[in-house]
Amino acid sequence: MLIYPQLGTGALSQFPIRKRRTQRTVVNTTADGTSIKLADASGGATQWELTYEELSDSELSALEQFFAAAEGSLNGFVFLDPAGNLLAWSGKLDNPVWTPGPMLSVTGSIVDPWGGTQAWRLANTGNGAQAITQTIQAPSGYLYCMSVYVRSPLPTIATLLLGATRGDRSVNSQWNRIEFAASGDGTESSVSFGLELPAGASVEVSGPQVEPQGAASLYKATTTGGVYLGARLANDTLKITATGLNRHSCTVNIIHADHL
Amino acid sequence: MLTFPILKTAAVAQYPAMRYVEFRNQTVRFVDGTEQRYRDASGPLHRWGIRLNALDESEIAAIEEFFAANQGAFGNFAFTDPWDGQVYNNCSLTGETLEVQALAEMCGNTVLTVQENRG
Repeated sequence: MLIYPQLGTGALSQFPIRKRRTQRTVVNTTADGTSIKLADASGGATQWELTYEELSDSELSALEQFFAAAEGSLNGFVFLDPAGNLLAWSGKLDNPVWTPGPMLSVTGSIVDPWGGTQAWRLANTGNGAQAITQTIQAPSGYLYCMSVYVRSPLPTIATLLLGATRGDRSVNSQWNRIEFAASGDGTESSVSFGLELPAGASVEVSGPQVEPQGAASLYKATTTGGVYLGARLANDTLKITATGLNRHSCTVNIIHADHL
Repeated sequence: MLTFPILKTAAVAQYPAMRYVEFRNQTVRFVDGTEQRYRDASGPLHRWGIRLNALDESEIAAIEEFFAANQGAFGNFAFTDPWDGQVYNNCSLTGETLEVQALAEMCGNTVLTVQENRG
């Protein structure tokens, strides 16, 4: 499967990003204004308009090679939402998309950093390290940044897992956002992200987020996640403007339809 | 029942905000120019135009999730009229398309239209 390329900075796109989500509902409106509606759950589509400026020759070359491999709108590819959180159900750590270790208890309705009760308490009752992970269908060789808000009544170490790479971060009694950015080394089509706790540790967590870039942006709560399999270029033409030496600009339109 | 998302400031809408009140009446005009009018509906329906600017990524994500959860115009939700605080329990989005634009970091914008449903 083709993969949409990252820029040299590790980012997937530049500002401005325009995103359009479309749904389909059949509506029969009667004379008095009452409506009868029928949803078409699989009729949704998402489109992005990515505007690039000041691309280097190598970045442009990567885009051109990708465009050629996709043959315009013909072939599908994996697209990671540049403005989204790639994790699904980021606010529901008891959802089946998350895999907790066998000795890791997961408790909800904990006070979160924003004053709500959307945080979770992870308690490792085992004698070894335990992790909660989520695997997404995204290329393992990308640059990713994983971040999560954590606090613990007793100081401890939490380890952010990003594929085979690990980042240790200290946790104290105040809410802090820990983050870890790394590139995977493999060519796998899926990659796992998670949080590992040492034996006996109890940590409150909120807002886990993974983004296809080198640093974390504001937390975005999700249900479906930002991985789009089977996305396509919306056009058969890639128009490139050379604005100077080693400086190029272009616009790429991408569409993902739920029914394709 | 879903509830329309509020901004971090606890506001529902920003200026300029639009509000519409719509009746449904019929007019029968006779040859001599006189008219007879009657109501087609039992009362007015409300509609709100909500234009949001300078949103941060969390606020945009919340609106996107709300749009997806509603399946566009299909779902119903409770909406609090930002003018008078009255809660309308049966409302839906009018459009099937949500367009969000991120101009820069913490600088997103979008436009939504909410309408009150009858029945």
